[in-house]
Amino acid sequence: MRYDSITDAIGNTPLVRIDPAVHGLTRIDLYAKLEMLNPFGSVKDRPAWHMARPLLAAAGPGEQVVELSSGNTAKALALLAGLHGLTFKSVTNRMRIPEIKELLLLLGAEIEELPGRSECLDPTDTDDPLTRFHQALAEPGGHYLHTDQYFNPRNTDAHASGTGPEIVKDLDGRAPDYFVACVGTAGSSTGVARVLREHDPDVRVIGLVADKSDFIPGIRTIDEVQQVGLFDPATYDTIETVTADEAIDGMVTLIRRCALLSGPTGGAAFQGAIRHLRTVDRELTERRTAVFIVCDRAESYLGYVRQRRPELLGRPPLKNSAAALTEAEVRAEAKTVGPEAARRWITEGDPAPLVVDLRGPHAYAALHIDGSINIADELFGELLRGGLPFSTRRPVLLACPVGEKSARYAALLTRMGHPDVRSLAGGVVAWRDAGAPLVRD
Amino acid sequence: MRVPLYLRPRLEPPLDALLDTPHLLHTLVDALGSPLNVLLPDRVAENAERFLAVYRKHHLAGRVTFAHKANGANSLLRRLAAADPAAVGVDVASLGELQHALASGFTPDRITATGPKDPAFLWLAARTGVTVHPDSITELGQLADLVRRFALPRVAVLPRLSGFDAATGAGATGVRVRSRRSRFGTPLTEAEALLDALDRHRDAVEPVGVAYHLDTTGLAEKAVALEQCVGFLDALRARGRDPRVLDIGGGFGVGYVDDAAQWDRYTTELGNAVLGTRPALTWRGHGYGLRNEGGTLRGALALYPAHRPDAGPGYLDELLTTPAPATGRPPATLLLEHLYDLSTQPGRALVDQCGAVLARVLDVTPSDSGDLLVRLAMNAGDMSLEEHGVLVDPVLLPRPGDSPPADSPSGDTTPADSPPDAGPVGVHLFGNLCLEADLITRRTVFLPRRPRPGDLLAFANTAGYAMDFHAHRAQRQPVARTVAVVRDGGSWRWCLDEEYWPTTHPGGTA
Repeated sequence: MRYDSITDAIGNTPLVRIDPAVHGLTRIDLYAKLEMLNPFGSVKDRPAWHMARPLLAAAGPGEQVVELSSGNTAKALALLAGLHGLTFKSVTNRMRIPEIKELLLLLGAEIEELPGRSECLDPTDTDDPLTRFHQALAEPGGHYLHTDQYFNPRNTDAHASGTGPEIVKDLDGRAPDYFVACVGTAGSSTGVARVLREHDPDVRVIGLVADKSDFIPGIRTIDEVQQVGLFDPATYDTIETVTADEAIDGMVTLIRRCALLSGPTGGAAFQGAIRHLRTVDRELTERRTAVFIVCDRAESYLGYVRQRRPELLGRPPLKNSAAALTEAEVRAEAKTVGPEAARRWITEGDPAPLVVDLRGPHAYAALHIDGSINIADELFGELLRGGLPFSTRRPVLLACPVGEKSARYAALLTRMGHPDVRSLAGGVVAWRDAGAPLVRD
Repeated sequence: MRVPLYLRPRLEPPLDALLDTPHLLHTLVDALGSPLNVLLPDRVAENAERFLAVYRKHHLAGRVTFAHKANGANSLLRRLAAADPAAVGVDVASLGELQHALASGFTPDRITATGPKDPAFLWLAARTGVTVHPDSITELGQLADLVRRFALPRVAVLPRLSGFDAATGAGATGVRVRSRRSRFGTPLTEAEALLDALDRHRDAVEPVGVAYHLDTTGLAEKAVALEQCVGFLDALRARGRDPRVLDIGGGFGVGYVDDAAQWDRYTTELGNAVLGTRPALTWRGHGYGLRNEGGTLRGALALYPAHRPDAGPGYLDELLTTPAPATGRPPATLLLEHLYDLSTQPGRALVDQCGAVLARVLDVTPSDSGDLLVRLAMNAGDMSLEEHGVLVDPVLLPRPGDSPPADSPSGDTTPADSPPDAGPVGVHLFGNLCLEADLITRRTVFLPRRPRPGDLLAFANTAGYAMDFHAHRAQRQPVARTVAVVRDGGSWRWCLDEEYWPTTHPGGTA
């Protein structure tokens, strides 16, 4: 298909039936609305474009699009701003997915992280960071185009004019009996629900929020939804909570059983939908349909999964890993040498040892043992994966701050077949405390 | 009666055991009056030890320095003075606090002087050889002048830095971590001028390190500040000085409420109360910073996060392991690698679990709303958790063996602890000032049973900033007396705070 602009490819996403063998519901046909197939990768492409379009059309040179977003809206707005020769700034205090943060930087976005809460609280201080952000936006002569996703009715309209009618069209002009949506800005659920209810006032809308102590990307907790201007409890017939564990379970099922590369938000919608519909299903006598939204794709959430369910990413242990040695193995196998003996070894040894300083480059630059070379510990670890980086004929003295990491690497190098590696006991700290010289170049 | 929303205080030994001895506490208040501050000086030494355990875990050397302003009592300071001199110090913020620290047994090498300083404070600090935290280049100059004018020995200084906004990347792209503004400290943008000033005053002051303090709970901001201070110390070193100490200030926090679920439920319901979807939870619908705008919750909850699983030493541990943005190395590693000692200045966190404020119930009256109005022999200045945005329940200590009061609706033949006293009640706590606004807290407090005149309410864990910090003599109401209590085997010993010294068990067995 040929387009003049990538923005023309936003919307008209597929509605895909989930195999009943996967969801186990007997009288309900469950459909996934694949918003992850929008060109920028998520359901947010629609509201981002719908909100930004009038602002971008009227924008002057040097203006900047700003939004309080740490995720998909920011991603879509950054791309749209770039497309129009403008810059984008994401203001956030909840940037919790490092991959998305790096992706935003790659897209050319500027990220501003708001200060944390005051420790010595002054309850009369109404000057919270968000208030200041809004003041800055309102300043005369400002160069900001604020899309205001939590309060902008065009967020909801994007779904009322797009997502909702598409679902009805794909179900042959009928609204589904159940619509299940995760509540973030409440834009998609509110907009879709409005259209579905116009077709059939009996549509049941199930809103999903995160448990208060939990974190699921793109979903607000039960408290946070109250701060969303677009959120109206009357939109939902019921509001239920889902957990991060359920979100990941749902995501894994969608990926491994349905070939849908969904992220955790879509997983939460799927799992929440099945949980709710299972009880309904038993009472039904005729066929029903249900729709949930797959918000975005899996790739950005590997860290999220690694943190919560590392077994899903299980890999064999790495070769030559210092971390794999036990404390007892390190104690038994690492040769150490105290500062005094080390000094003599460096000055009188034949051959004299190669001194490797495992500290960071700034620390090395500030002060180090004369003649030493600097290979920071992470780099050194990487280097050893490939094998011994020194000749076995050259003795090596390893130094770190307190002699802990260096002992670990001394043990590992000994295992790898080096005959004379020693760790500086007590590290550079003990060296300094013994009055031995440290230099800067 | 609606479902009570408790915020049960976190109680650890020995405070939990002390609050289990109503007889002793009632006797103390009978003798010494209400309100009464009760302190547990041994716990402050234990807390210092917990901080030091985090130092050891990360192989860091340096001192834990008590921010004296959190509590003015003698017993806490004297108990800390008896701790390991190499590991425990005190930070003073006024002439009076400096005199108190010296009189409590701290030698000048263990004392740091911070905050706004007048000439007398600076002189006594310089004369005795205390380490000074100059807030600005101007103050550094004033100190140097004083040293020259009075021919004093060179003064050790830890210049305080501020203004740590961190931006990575060039131009518009990049991450900018915003940091709270402080009125104390030299902005990092003036680092060169500060280094020049330190060179200029080389004859009078010796920079032994640098300091910062950020009033925030945000770990990322603190990691940014710490990393930039390490850079400044390296710059000092490059100018031929020998800085050893990075003082990272305080702000480690305290967990006041024990149960996360209670705190979560309470804050959710507070939002609902502001939205009007449930009955009010506060006096006259106060919203603690939240307001209802057309059915949407706006504003920010101006409350201390009262449930904090990782406060105090746990927070320090987390800070030391949070990678700093520029180098990607955790602060503990940075300090170790660059050969700097760590200094911390906990206030609130060091006196965690160190005491309680006791107040007598004077009067219990029903109100139209069904909540009870409870008047206490204290005022909002005597127990100022509310001033700090901390919401947590007091512990009700019924008078042992007391008969029911005359205001009991069921008459005076009911034995204690049976209906209608049994069962939870919502109460509003008022103080003893002739002032509409003298509420101990603006929230409705739920107590497990109806309090009676003569009962005590114990406000636990108030030794940090909530005891003497806001106390005053308005209306000639009495200021609380303070007692120090020490566990002695199975019993308790107590004495007036001014009589406490680490040498002997305090007298007066209970």
